[in-house]
Amino acid sequence: MLRYIIRRLLLLPLVMVGVTFLLFLLTQRLSPEMRASLYVRDARQMGALEEVISQYGLRDPVLKQYGRWMKNVIKGDLGYSPSANMPVAKAIKEYLPATIQLAVVTMLLVVFFGVWFGASSAVHKDKWQDTLVRLVSVGGFSLPIFVLGLLLLMVFYGKLGWFSPGGYSFQTDLIIHGVSFKTYTGFLLIDSLLNGQFRVFVDVLSHLVLPAVTLCIGSFALMVRVMRSSMLEELNKEYVRSARAKGLYERQVIYKHAGKNAIIPVITLASIQFIRLLGGTVIVETIFDYPGIGRFGVLAAQQLDIAGILGFSLMVAVLFVVGNLLSDILYTAVDPRIRLE
Amino acid sequence: MSVSPILEVRNLQISFVEQNRNRLVLRGLSYSLEKGRVLAVVGESGSGKTVHALGLLSLLPAAARISGGEVRYKGQNLLACSAEQLRQIRGAKIAMIFQDPSASLNPVLTVGQQLIETLRAHESISKEEAARKAIELLDKVGIPNPEKRLDEYPFQFSGGMCQRVMIAMALALKPDILIADEPTTALDVTIQAQILRLMKDLQQEYGMAVIFITHNLALAAAIADDVLVLYGGLCMEQAPAEKLFTHPLHPYTQGLLGSLVSVSRKTEHLPAIPGNPPIAGEPLPGCPFAPRCSQATEKCSQKLPPLFAKGSCYVRCWLEEPHGSTH
Ligand SMILES: Nc1ncnc2c1ncn2[C@@H]1O[C@H](COP(=O)(O)OP(=O)(O)OP(=O)(O)O)[C@@H](O)[C@H]1O
Ligand SMILES: [Mg+2]
Repeated sequence: MLRYIIRRLLLLPLVMVGVTFLLFLLTQRLSPEMRASLYVRDARQMGALEEVISQYGLRDPVLKQYGRWMKNVIKGDLGYSPSANMPVAKAIKEYLPATIQLAVVTMLLVVFFGVWFGASSAVHKDKWQDTLVRLVSVGGFSLPIFVLGLLLLMVFYGKLGWFSPGGYSFQTDLIIHGVSFKTYTGFLLIDSLLNGQFRVFVDVLSHLVLPAVTLCIGSFALMVRVMRSSMLEELNKEYVRSARAKGLYERQVIYKHAGKNAIIPVITLASIQFIRLLGGTVIVETIFDYPGIGRFGVLAAQQLDIAGILGFSLMVAVLFVVGNLLSDILYTAVDPRIRLE
Repeated sequence: MSVSPILEVRNLQISFVEQNRNRLVLRGLSYSLEKGRVLAVVGESGSGKTVHALGLLSLLPAAARISGGEVRYKGQNLLACSAEQLRQIRGAKIAMIFQDPSASLNPVLTVGQQLIETLRAHESISKEEAARKAIELLDKVGIPNPEKRLDEYPFQFSGGMCQRVMIAMALALKPDILIADEPTTALDVTIQAQILRLMKDLQQEYGMAVIFITHNLALAAAIADDVLVLYGGLCMEQAPAEKLFTHPLHPYTQGLLGSLVSVSRKTEHLPAIPGNPPIAGEPLPGCPFAPRCSQATEKCSQKLPPLFAKGSCYVRCWLEEPHGSTH
């Protein structure tokens, strides 16, 4: 097990280099002047372009430039992001926790309701419960995320005023940037509790509701389907029949026997969805003005902020490898037949 | 003096619903099983052996319907029981083991968990006590090192070992009846013999009645007191084992025995019964075996013979029609 984890972590640098080198090659399609101009704000300094180019060695061979970037990355310096107006590393540290928070809450909702609805839909196959769940999940599939997001915003912010956009309220902003608020983890949901600021916790959580629900719907629809078909398949297996023949209670047969097997594909799907959420909540973060990493990535891409793009992709690559590793470990907890070697 | 039977099956009919059409696969089966006796149910693939066994405990797949009949266990009709009554009988009074032992165990639960939950579904005992009993049971069915094996998963067991576990589970509550559906078919020959030996020993020790389902007449001969021959969902012949193997009455049974003997004599040429078993769903008006029967007459393909009693035997064949009958 430990050897497996180490082996997989050794793979990490390879993936990181692969992803970033490809992107680096692409950025070379831009002329050195264009790349330099990103760092030149003032029109009067346009004459200084050559200076910037030579200072940063933008005319050097690709490999040399890439090597220089990599060396800095190893030192922890991801460069400066003009689009975020701060170092890339700082931007990630600031925006990533908010996105992880959103992704975790979303996945908790997706897995909990997806497994519950999917399983009961399978158990009550072709009865009204099943029909209802299938209708809801088809609806979830076909509703574009931005339409749902805007609808929710209109109703719950515009009409009812229950929730508001953004990451937190103005009062929370004052508290968390005050001197007495200590940052332990960067995750506001956790830090607020550690600081004993329960109102901040509630405020942050309430700002998570609308984006999380919006993100949920599509993933939820898929999750319900996977759980339903997986459960139907398991319920038809022979061990279920022999569990009944042993005189077990029906709920033992369904949840303990079939359920534990049916959940296995759900883990794969959930980890894929989770990793995708980490890199791809762009639309929702934009609609709800949520201060997450997706917005940072989009801004960087729009403004050809090369350091920002590279840093963002590097982060996604790392999350991808680590996320997959975690899901592999989770697997072994559920399925004894899987041994990580 | 006749003992009252522990299980009585009366005119059991089972059909599958397919595209708004009922396909009768068990066409009225009746027999009774006495305490401590072994009844072999023999038949070719598709003759309805498994469906009949599942029907006894209402374990049929959703597409199947029990369209008639009764299954009386100690006088109680199992087909009219509530779900909870049925649950209390399953596993505790009537246990069942299946053809594919590896698929019959849950892959993600340990063997111990599966044994313990069986015990605890029927008896209020602590986990520790159940675990102790489980170890005893594994030991009893000949699994070496039972304390250690208890925490292992089914995939760590061979097919034969899985079937031993299934037997341990079936015997856990000392049932009155054990239904064994081709318990050795999926195993290789040496293991088959061991499992059969084990079943026979335990049957005698516990005094259980056994319904032993098989397509292999040799196995039936090795274990059974009575034999019931099933063909196309109908009982063709039922007789005490010694009678059936020495004086088979039905041409189908004779054919089956003929092919069996020739195999044991290792002849080159294997005289199988010509033709194929009936395609279920198109029940012929007459005897289902008539198309393959060398002695069939006009009457055989037109009218289904009833079961004629001949001493302690029953046979469904016009050739055995008692003389002087009004038919
Ligand atoms: N799930 C099912 N759906 C539809 N028909 C079925 C189903 N299970 C069994 N049958 C039909 O019921 C009939 C009897 O099948 P059954 O499984 O009882 O045969 P069997 O005697 O046990 O054969 P085998 O030796 O192959 O196990 C067959 O014609 C089969 O096609
Ligand atoms: Mg069968």
